Amino acid sequence: MSLLGPIGHSPAASLISRLPGANRDDAPLGPVKLPGVTAAPTPAVNEPGGFGSVFEQLVSSVDAKQDEAQALTRDVLLGQNDQLHQSMIAMQEAGVAFQLMVEVRNKVVESYQELMRMPV
Amino acid sequence: MNLISSLSLTAGALNAQKTRLDVVAQNIANAQTTLGPDGRPYQRRVVSFETELLRVGGTPLQGVRVSGITADPTPGQSVYDPQHPQANREGYVEMPNVHLAYEMVDLMTASRAYEANLSVVKNARQMAMRALEIGR
Repeated sequence: MSLLGPIGHSPAASLISRLPGANRDDAPLGPVKLPGVTAAPTPAVNEPGGFGSVFEQLVSSVDAKQDEAQALTRDVLLGQNDQLHQSMIAMQEAGVAFQLMVEVRNKVVESYQELMRMPV
Repeated sequence: MNLISSLSLTAGALNAQKTRLDVVAQNIANAQTTLGPDGRPYQRRVVSFETELLRVGGTPLQGVRVSGITADPTPGQSVYDPQHPQANREGYVEMPNVHLAYEMVDLMTASRAYEANLSVVKNARQMAMRALEIGR
């Protein structure tokens, strides 16, 4: 003989079962819809003005700088040009631009990881 | 994208100083040339610079460029050397008006000016890299 009896048959349990969401069938599986709150439209990543396209532009301009530096250095090495300093300056500029790109990427990854660590 | 805006200006200055170095080299090389393409002894060349207006990312800046390479018209020394093929009837040869002392001074000025502009490049780069270190 059990002292408490099966929980499902006690009066308290029948009270609990009448609360919304207590039965498995009532459990909110999808997103909870609150009245008056509509979800913000999610912007596409590559839409103009979005972060994706800005970063893409940054990457392509860094790439253009690297190409320019490479072309100047090749000209110097092939003897078509004797502007050694221009080649070096272009290389330095490309290096700084690349460093900027790396820093931006590090920041983005860091903030993503910060978000993932956030306790929910 | 122009991260280091002063560099286009410094590149012009470096170009100008390099041209000056080339001209000094030409003067020293021709210090004994008594027969130029015009049949006259070599005349030393002088470089002059002029302001070049630049607009770098909206900021008006004044760069520099070579405005011209002109010949120095001062007459050269006449040396008595009757065996010389360019000697005149009296046996004198007109030498180029190149003075090695002047050329050496020009050479040092050009080299120091080049160095000064290179340190501008170096510092501009260092400043940009320091700014990028803010994010660390």
